[in-house]
Amino acid sequence: MGPVNGKDVDQAGLRLRLSASLDAARSELIDATERGEGGRLALALHSECIDGIVRGLVDTARVQTGAALAVCAVGGYGRRSQFLHSDIDLLVVFDRAIGRPEERFIKALLHPLWDLKFQVGHHVREIADFDAIDTSNPEYLLSLMDLRPLAGDREMVDRLERAIASSAPQWRPQILDALVTLTDERHSEFHDTLYQLEPDVKDGPGALRDVWATRMMLHLGGERRHAPRPASPDRLNDAEEFLMRIRSGLHLDAGRNANVLSYELQEKAAERLRYTGPDVRRRVEALMTDYFKDARSVTRALGRVRRVAVPPPPTSIRLIGQNLMWVVEGITFADVTAAAAAPAEWMRAFEAAVSRNVPVADDALALIEREQQVHNHAPEAFHPTDEHRQRIVQFLRPRPGLSARLSEMRDCGLLGAIFPELNEISCRVTRDFYHKYTVDEHTLLTVRNVERLLVNPRFGPVLRELRAPEMLVLSLLYHDVGKARDGDHSIVGAEMATGMMSRLGLDEDARQTIDFLIRAHLKMSRIAFRRDTEEPEVVRQFASLFSTEEHLKMLVLLTLADVGAVSPDTLTPWKEELLWRLYVDAYNQMTLGYGDDIIDREQALVAALQASRPADISETEMASFLEGLPRRYLILFSPEAIYGHVRLSRDIRPDEAHFVLQKKAEAWELTVVSLDKPFLFSNICGVLAYFGMDILRGHALTSLAGTALDVFEFADSDQFFELNSEGRKEFDRRLHEVINGQADVTSLLKSKERSVLFRRALVPRTPVVYFDNGHSQRYTVLEIVAEDAPGLLYRVSRAISDHGIDVDLVLISTEGQKAIDVFHITRGGAKLLEDAEAALKADLERMLKESA
Amino acid sequence: MKLIKAIVRPNMVDNIKEALGKMNIAGMTVTEVRGHGRQKGHTAVYRGREYEVSLLPKMEIEVVVPDSSVDEAIKAIIGAARTGEIGDGRVFVMPVEQGYNIRTGEKDV
Repeated sequence: MGPVNGKDVDQAGLRLRLSASLDAARSELIDATERGEGGRLALALHSECIDGIVRGLVDTARVQTGAALAVCAVGGYGRRSQFLHSDIDLLVVFDRAIGRPEERFIKALLHPLWDLKFQVGHHVREIADFDAIDTSNPEYLLSLMDLRPLAGDREMVDRLERAIASSAPQWRPQILDALVTLTDERHSEFHDTLYQLEPDVKDGPGALRDVWATRMMLHLGGERRHAPRPASPDRLNDAEEFLMRIRSGLHLDAGRNANVLSYELQEKAAERLRYTGPDVRRRVEALMTDYFKDARSVTRALGRVRRVAVPPPPTSIRLIGQNLMWVVEGITFADVTAAAAAPAEWMRAFEAAVSRNVPVADDALALIEREQQVHNHAPEAFHPTDEHRQRIVQFLRPRPGLSARLSEMRDCGLLGAIFPELNEISCRVTRDFYHKYTVDEHTLLTVRNVERLLVNPRFGPVLRELRAPEMLVLSLLYHDVGKARDGDHSIVGAEMATGMMSRLGLDEDARQTIDFLIRAHLKMSRIAFRRDTEEPEVVRQFASLFSTEEHLKMLVLLTLADVGAVSPDTLTPWKEELLWRLYVDAYNQMTLGYGDDIIDREQALVAALQASRPADISETEMASFLEGLPRRYLILFSPEAIYGHVRLSRDIRPDEAHFVLQKKAEAWELTVVSLDKPFLFSNICGVLAYFGMDILRGHALTSLAGTALDVFEFADSDQFFELNSEGRKEFDRRLHEVINGQADVTSLLKSKERSVLFRRALVPRTPVVYFDNGHSQRYTVLEIVAEDAPGLLYRVSRAISDHGIDVDLVLISTEGQKAIDVFHITRGGAKLLEDAEAALKADLERMLKESA
Repeated sequence: MKLIKAIVRPNMVDNIKEALGKMNIAGMTVTEVRGHGRQKGHTAVYRGREYEVSLLPKMEIEVVVPDSSVDEAIKAIIGAARTGEIGDGRVFVMPVEQGYNIRTGEKDV
């Protein structure tokens, strides 16, 4: 050990005094934190104590240099927000070039701070550096904005402040842009959502750094625009105080600069901030609900200031419809008083915004929030008429920007007002190893994922083919609402959705779809990820869940969106591959492989049909009708429809057809029962083509007894039935004539085909003609994917019949301009041989090319 | 010590975990992988168009066990993962020189 001199004793004494002073300050902050009061005031007191330590060290170190100097606090310390284990950032400026004496000064200042266990960030500059400030380091420039002189020569401090003030106008715009970029980059690290189940209260979206960024943007952007709007200072201050108290607790509990409010620390924070509730879970939920509300306030304030400080390119104010304007900030109301009085029209702002992929302006959101808080309108106030209800449903069609608009609706309270069941999952926490976001945020992320699926090479086409994609989004909004209550959330959620479906007046198809999707929303992932999907029985059972391919498509899309919204890493390419394969296998099972799966007399659905059969249908009649039909028939049609088919099949004779034509929503449904014979299917298609009907989808089924059931859903695009009072009679007459052989449909169609009205501009698409002999033991399955065209199905089925081939089962579907038809065919009661397939294929391809 | 690496069908992981759990082997690493062995994938058809499924989704399980437990662990994995059909997977065994606990710094014995 070396000799001890007086200087060392002085230094040791100083350090002891500083250490004692620091211990006292930390004890005060710890006490305040334990009381749940580790906010602004406590942090400022803590900062002041550290100021005293730094000043004492500067005084002692001054003997090392004769230079004039200034020592300033910057960053969070400059703002007097010094947490228990935060770094302290110092700026030291000398009036001359930095030499050995100045270096000794720096050492004399920093070494004792390090000995006191401070993490010190320091910038050392000469005052001349501020004549031309280096603008390549925006973080340094931003830290200067919080500069707070601590010690040194008054004249140096004044020079420094003057230098910064005089040069700031040149670099302020630059650092404003840098701040925006840094903020975006920081948010992207948190996947741009504040609804993290274990949020970072310093850097996360809506956390303390955003409070600072909001104030800084307001400060820096003030010169860019006249009259920047204030960022709700009271709410921002309140949010900051709350976040500070939480962060103080985190530092205390972790014993280091830790800022993630983990599950474990949430319990401690709830206790410290005196949340009440019957159990820990409820207390934590109350804490986190407050956290998310404050974080949301901060995020909104930041967004508002950002739009003002960094405005988008100038846009002229445009009136865009009933009481709506498109302004710089987005869509807003032209007449605020009128808008306040008309809640049913608020959705128009969001419709206009989503159609232009721009936000709804803050003042419009604020108006909605304020008015809804005051009046607490019931859901019906937002959709008093059928038109309003339909508009709400149509609004939910997946498009870029939909989830952002839904988020705005959520934040201003409109989403919960229209769909009150969603309020139950607001800020709801799911505690498990997988979920990363609150239930409401997870829900909106699923919608965002659906938007992204639109451009997915595999699943995009599946999404674009959906007849009613808005039902997928509606199902996603409700798929997890059951988590708010006890019980199986899939079942509870489906029950909770019934109220919404009634309020919106959804038809039976839509109700069944939503009910099915909510109840089944976990099934596909469970089977794809946990079962052996190479096992045909697994695929068969899975496929049997669906009544239509539309439901299968919706479930795979819902599953992808749902799994992808659990956390950023949950939906891996590996899982996506498994889901795709299960989808394809199930789709093929439903379209290619269902023909061999014949109705079994003993199966439960048959028993149920028999048990509830009307008095006019005997057990024998029922059993006889069902015999030999594929099982899928029982899933495709409701019991009422099946009983109707049985009645239609009564007393049918050769060359007769019993049929019924019904209007169903926007489309028509034609059900034909007849005894099977060659060309029957193509003749019916020909009659529909003759009347200009667009066949949308349909099924043709043949029983073992030779009864053919054909069900077509078609659109009367030319309004033939509406414009011709005798149109339906004419249709009936022609159909009878063609089926019983009195009229030749080919002759009827010849004149039609020559009409210019019959021709349509088509986007050329290479048709696919594919034969499958693997999926069915009984049938050759012919799949045709081609550009839809008038009379296409007639020409295809005619070509098949011309080859002496029997059409036993048919699935017809149209997806946009694409027709997808699957025929189960035989010749002479057997599958087709290779040469027969080749000949038919050649004819079909030639015919399809001519059609296009 | 030995590192046992098993490439198995995805749906067999729970069975294997349970089988190893009965041997008091609790620690394991499970990774989603894709690949093929003799089962070289197959061609699937969607709407008449073929697409290649050359790399099949599998799970890779890694466990480190004492030398004395290796045979038993391998038997447990094979017993739990086997269907008898092509595509059941593979088990590899590799020597491990040393292992350390990161939290405590202690060396595995």
